[in-house]
This record gives sequence, structure tokens and C-alpha cells, in this order.
Amino acid sequence: MIAIENLTVSFGGVTALNAVTVTLDQPVCGIIGPNGAGKTTFLNVISGFVVPQTGSIRANDTNLLSMKPHERARWGLRRSFQKEQVVNELTVEDNIRVVLDPLNLSGRERRDVLDTALDFVGLRGMRHALAEGLNAFERRMTEIARCIAGRPRVILLDEPGAGFSQGEVEKLRQIISDIHGFNGAMVLLIDHDVDLIQAVCQETIVLDFGSLIAVGETASVLTDPRVRAVYLGMEDA
Amino acid sequence: MQAATKHLSGAVEPDAVSSTGFVLGRYVPQLFFTCAAILLPFLVNALWLKVLTAVAIYALTAASIALLYRRLGLVSLAQVALMGCGGWVALRFAHAFGLPFEVNLMAGGIFAGLIGMILAYPALRMRGLYLALITLMAAGGFGILINVIQFPNGGGGLTGFEVRAITYMPRPVIAISDAAYFSYCMVVIAFGFLLIDVHERGRAGRGWALIRKSEASAMAAGVNVTLYKVWGFALSGFLAGVAGALLAGNLQLLDARSFPPAESVMIFALTVVGGAWHWYGAVIAALLYRLVPAFLNDLGLDGNAAYIIFGLALIHALITAPKGLAGQLSDGLKRLARRGPNA
Repeated sequence: MIAIENLTVSFGGVTALNAVTVTLDQPVCGIIGPNGAGKTTFLNVISGFVVPQTGSIRANDTNLLSMKPHERARWGLRRSFQKEQVVNELTVEDNIRVVLDPLNLSGRERRDVLDTALDFVGLRGMRHALAEGLNAFERRMTEIARCIAGRPRVILLDEPGAGFSQGEVEKLRQIISDIHGFNGAMVLLIDHDVDLIQAVCQETIVLDFGSLIAVGETASVLTDPRVRAVYLGMEDA
Repeated sequence: MQAATKHLSGAVEPDAVSSTGFVLGRYVPQLFFTCAAILLPFLVNALWLKVLTAVAIYALTAASIALLYRRLGLVSLAQVALMGCGGWVALRFAHAFGLPFEVNLMAGGIFAGLIGMILAYPALRMRGLYLALITLMAAGGFGILINVIQFPNGGGGLTGFEVRAITYMPRPVIAISDAAYFSYCMVVIAFGFLLIDVHERGRAGRGWALIRKSEASAMAAGVNVTLYKVWGFALSGFLAGVAGALLAGNLQLLDARSFPPAESVMIFALTVVGGAWHWYGAVIAALLYRLVPAFLNDLGLDGNAAYIIFGLALIHALITAPKGLAGQLSDGLKRLARRGPNA
């Protein structure tokens, strides 16, 4: 569960998040909104890259704001970025192992965790391959493996589906839906693909100009007339 | 979806590396340095052996520069000054305590490593040109300081320098002669390269790789960016310090005038020319730095003409070889190998 209270972030005169208060407790929560709505800022505050002016974030009763970014990662906060951050010079396996290094696992535990993470995303066969030879989807899968390996508690995915074909998005959808059952982690998902959000998120929040417009069960949020007005545009009107 | 999974998992099975070849491949630098340590003393005369000893020592310095550049994307223009730090401490220890050479060597390395950690402090907030300038300023500061306090030569007091006193730093007991000392340096350098290799393949290497990609992604993966940067600088400084101590042992004394900041810039440029992405790039850099001037002298030309060659080499590297001469060489060899079986 993530409880966010009165979260405000501004960059100079621009208010990126405006007194956002929300409690999320479903396995997969969607975050939608038009470009510039504050979605990525929201994730950046949770990961610790942006320090909010006011507000608190508690995840499973831990105060996240008091920890540095790398400490949050060790606590179990993981994230992927809009532009994937897979390192070309490392193998697929080493790209994932880097998150396990600070966790002080025994050699055997680490191997097990690595194997199950690779199996989960279907990359086991290419574990020793250098990442520079991977295609875009395999790179995204490597990053997702990095997010789900070890014992994550909260996983933030920032537009993981951007630029993929129908079939690839289908596989991604399956993987995101399976994460909670796989390791019990809660997933926050930003995506512009409303079909993907509808398929995997039990709960969805909508941001516009830094303000929380709607929150609740995905189906009812997506049919909310206000949400349609700000986000889906006028095509359905 | 099944098909997609199958495609993903089956893709690179044939590429799986054969493990014996892999293990052998891993220790190529060590094999190379060991062979050189054994063979070269029989093949070259005393003069060239002295030159090659200097080449060996600067190869370690170049490797310390390449490590920071390759793994953290950081430009350090203070490595020759760090050699000077290592050399100073090694000389001071040798004259003060008369301990075995290896202890002086480690003391020099550790001291330069500590100085490297201090240099890492600005590196936490800066990179690129600004960091390069700071390291260059540090090198300049060292150049002035060392001209005031001089290198220890057996005198008294804290600096251990006296104008008249000339006591030579003893070499290691097992490597008194020039030939033996050359082999000794080669072995130390082999260990230095091994230390780099162990770090790069382990936890530190993975952390550095992520930091180079982006600090945000490194933090998001739980990498303590501060710690890993300081660690990188400490290792690089340690290696430069060891090289400095080896240099002190080679000449058995050091001259303050041979550590100006310009030398740090020069060896950095040559490391880029040699290639920071391959272990032998550092060897090429050191060959250019020490062997080419000696060769020109041997031909009866002015050794400073080497600077013209360096300039041309740098332009060549920047235009045609982003991974340096070593990168060009290994690409060429790969192309030959690929053509081989088909011909």
C-alpha cells in the first residue's frame, strides 16, 4: 500500500504536482494523464530524484522520503525509465545482477533469484549475451527483469509499452499482470495505451496539470466524463 | 505469445561462450606480461631494457587513466601527479624505515589512492570539462609543491631532502639488476591489470557501468553512486601510485622537474590514442610515450619530435578510431579472422 499525502512539487513557477493526496492499494495501479500532467514527476518523487516541497509518502508503513534513492532501491523500490537504461557493455545477466549486488544475498540465493527473474521475462537463453545485441523488446524485458528480481515491494514502470507491436504489448501485458503473483510487489504503471491500462490495472489515477482529477476502479475512472474531457479528448463526445 | 517467448529464449544459444577459451582469454594480459618479463631481457640490450622498464611503468599509469575513462566516463588529468605522490611516499618510507621494497610500493600506492579519493570529491558533482580542469589544477598544485619540498633523497626532516645528500632508494632484493627489475615491474603490472579485471567483472564494474549509463538508473538499481565513484578514483590513484613507486625504484631517485602537469595531459591524450577500451591500449599508449622519443633519439633526431607524431596520432584517433588504435587493431583482427575460414 502506498499512502501519499498533500504532495506538492514545483519547479520555479511551474507546479508539477499540486497537493496530491491518494492511497493506492491494488496490485497494479495505472497513472494516466496528458503530456506534462506530472506523471513522470510523480514517479520521480517516489524514487527520490525529485524532492517535494510538501507532503509525505508512506509505503507499507515506511517513510520513503527520509531515504536516499539508492536506499529506497535496497528497501525494495524499483523502477524502469521511459528510455530504457540497459547497459550495452554488460551481459543480460549482469544487467540484472546489478540490483542484487547491494542485497547481500548468498551465492546460491542470488543464482536462484537470477534464474527465476530470467525465466519470468523469457530471457534465460540469452543470459550471457551482451546487451548491445538485443532488440528493443528484449532490452525492455531486461529492464523489467531488473525491476522484478530480488524482493521488490513497489515497482514503478514508466511507459514500458511505448513503441512496441501488438504482439509484444500482449506479452508485456501478461508479464505486468503476473508480477504481483510472482513476488507480491505492487506495480505503478504509467502508459498512454489505455487498452493496456484497462487490461492490467485494477485501480487508476488521472493527473492533469499536476492535480489529481480522478481515482478509483479503472473501468469507472475511464468512463468518468471529466477524464474523457481532459485525457481522451473529444473524439468520443 | 508462446512464439515470442520461444524466439526470445532460443536466440543466442549457439553463441554461448566456451568456458576454457573464456578463462584463457581472460588472462591474456597476464600471459603477455609474463612472457615479456621472461623473454625481453634476453632479446634487447641494456639501454632499450631501461626504456622498456619505463614503458611498462607508464602502461600501468595509462591503465589507471583508461579505467576511469572507460568505466565512469571521467577524465583525470592528474595521474602523473598521483605517480609523483606514490613515488614521494615510497622514497620517504625507503629512506626512513629501510623496509622491504614491497612495503614501500604498497605505501606509495595507498597514499596515492587516498589522494585519488580526495580528487573524487569534486567528481561527485562534476564531470567532463569541469572535472578535467579540477584534476589539472590539482596536478598543477602538485607540480609547484613538489618543486618546493623535492623528492626525498636520504636527507633528514619530514621532507627527507638535502641538497648534497644523494642516497639511492634500494631496489627489491630479488631484482637488483636492471634486467631483473624489468621483470619485477612486469610482474607488478600483471597484478595491476588483474586487479582492474577483477573489479570490472565484479560488483564494482557493474555499478560503474550503470553510473556511466546514467546516474539516475544507477541509483534506481540501488547503486551507491558516491561510494562507487570514490572507489573508482581510489583504485585508479592506487595504480598510479604503484607506478610512481616503481618509477622511483627504477631510477632509485626522482626529480621534481619530471612531474609537470603537462605530462599528465600528455599521457591522458596518448591513452585515448592507444584506446581505453582494450587492455593493450594502455601498452600502446606507454610505447608511444616512452619508446617513440627514445627511438627518435637513437636515430639521431630530437626526441621532442615525438610530439609531432603524438599530435598526428591524436588527430588520427579522433577522426578514424573512436576506440583508439587498440580498437582499430582488434576490429582489423576480427575482420581477418572472419575472412579466414571462408577463403
